[in-house]
Amino acid sequence: MSSDAATPMEFWYRLPYSQREKYYNWALNLVLSIGLVLILFPIYWMVATSLMSPEGLFSLPNPLVPTDVTLETYRSVLETDVLLWYRNTIFLAAGVVGLTTVAATLGGYGLARLDIPFKKTFARVILFGYMFPPILLSIPMFIFWRQIGIINSLPGVIIAQTATTLPFSLWLMWQFFQTVPYSYEESARIIGCSRFQAFYEIALPLAKPGMIAVAIFSFAIAWGAYTIPTVLLTSNSKWVLTLGLYSFTQQESVLWGQIMAASTMLVLPTFAFVYYLQKYILRGFRATRI
Amino acid sequence: MSLRESLASGQLHGYRQDLFGMLSKRWVFVALTVVPALAVFGFVNMFPMLWALAASFFEVGAFQPSWTWAGIENFETVLANSDFWASIRRSVIFAAGSVVLQVTTGTALAILLDRKFSFKRVIRAIALVPYIVPTAVLSFVALWMGNARYGIINQLLVEVGLISEFIAWYGTTDLAMLSVIVTSSWKFTIFVTIIVLARLQSIPASIYEAATVSGASRWDRFKDITLPNLKGVLFIVVLLRGVWMFNKFDIIFILTNGGPINTTTTASIYAYRTAFSDFNLGEAAAVSTLLFVLLVGAAIVYFYFFEPSQEVRVE
Repeated sequence: MSSDAATPMEFWYRLPYSQREKYYNWALNLVLSIGLVLILFPIYWMVATSLMSPEGLFSLPNPLVPTDVTLETYRSVLETDVLLWYRNTIFLAAGVVGLTTVAATLGGYGLARLDIPFKKTFARVILFGYMFPPILLSIPMFIFWRQIGIINSLPGVIIAQTATTLPFSLWLMWQFFQTVPYSYEESARIIGCSRFQAFYEIALPLAKPGMIAVAIFSFAIAWGAYTIPTVLLTSNSKWVLTLGLYSFTQQESVLWGQIMAASTMLVLPTFAFVYYLQKYILRGFRATRI
Repeated sequence: MSLRESLASGQLHGYRQDLFGMLSKRWVFVALTVVPALAVFGFVNMFPMLWALAASFFEVGAFQPSWTWAGIENFETVLANSDFWASIRRSVIFAAGSVVLQVTTGTALAILLDRKFSFKRVIRAIALVPYIVPTAVLSFVALWMGNARYGIINQLLVEVGLISEFIAWYGTTDLAMLSVIVTSSWKFTIFVTIIVLARLQSIPASIYEAATVSGASRWDRFKDITLPNLKGVLFIVVLLRGVWMFNKFDIIFILTNGGPINTTTTASIYAYRTAFSDFNLGEAAAVSTLLFVLLVGAAIVYFYFFEPSQEVRVE
């Protein structure tokens, strides 16, 4: 059999290893690029739509790069309560992140280190907290929140929204503290540190990546919270921006430009957040193993 | 006084010592660490759950707080309703479809991102972005892009000739469920990517090098190094994503509101309607109790069959 009658496979394996690796990498980069386009295009189209004029929006076909760029939609969006809703969203996110991170860090440490009866059972049962549909958690919350007077208030929603962030965060911190070597704390105890000091000055700094991961996880949920605020916030001055988007849908028409402009305002600032914290996101979630 | 200073001086001084000593008492320390988490968990997770479990045995007035004992009547009504069973079936389809799509593409994306390439920091950041795009924003963007008269997806697909006329992606009975699954996976896949990527980074590069040197092909390395290392995280990711997608409400509610002709009415949409359109809180509570029992049962089976044999302790 002569060598020039080689099948593609034979040809491929006759290439030097380094060259094969190079082609592999090109192929994988191509797949990754396609993935990135699929991820970016909806975001791009959201921004592009927000910059189109109302007439341009509905004159087909839309050019892929808007030709008649205008800030008109943003101006009309700013005439509504959008900044108020924006402020409420920031307040809600800050509250949920704070409450979740503090409770999960302390609780995770306690579950990992202290000798508490049934703690292992409890740590596993935590995740069962997700098995109840959140939309139905909100009904008892609505009734009870009304009785104790925190209905239609942002602090009330912050507490309620924590139901969706705390179980996983607590579980994550419990796992994370297990990857922080206990021996450091033991050494500190031996040379005379108190238990609290060992926690505060040794375990806590080592757990920072986990805490940041929890903060980001709860931020992502709180920033886009929809279900629970829908039920618990009844007056539109208390709305968060995700609910406010609905005010741009009217009986007969949907103000797509305005919705996209408000969405852009909600999404773009968080990009910086992901860019600078990605290292911590990955480091913090590294502890998730069973 | 920092730890280093205290150690240098040989002992702790003053009120800080008293404070730390007080905080270190066993019961104070337990109260400080576990109790806040337990209290919040009890208040926002356990309490509403127990309320709903209890309410499922009552006829609950929607407008006045009157509870009339109903026994298992609510359950009988729900279980006899074919709409309920149809909604459970749709939840299973939605959850299973989403989990398969999210776990495969999410893991693939993580593996693609865990290589050497240029502009790594920027590209990784781009890949992580959908994770923080709010569900409501995603839903509206998807509705706009898939719009039957103006949607850019339709425009592009017609232009390249894949379809001949515009399609109502969320308004066609055959397509709605698939469209909702794909749309929600755009966002939730990234959760899988983050967790898997984090795990991949903790696999020492030396293992891969050793395998390459001893002649393992790419496929061998994937099968014998990557996959076994991912087993633990994939176990928990499948569980979490499965439960979360099964109970998913907001994205379906905005995209289709259960339509067209109920083809996307999953169990949580069904429960929502029972509670907020029919104002039948007792029956809605019975629906959620049944969902809960179903998921807990499924989770126990899942743990029993698939749990990785031992817990990893890094010391």
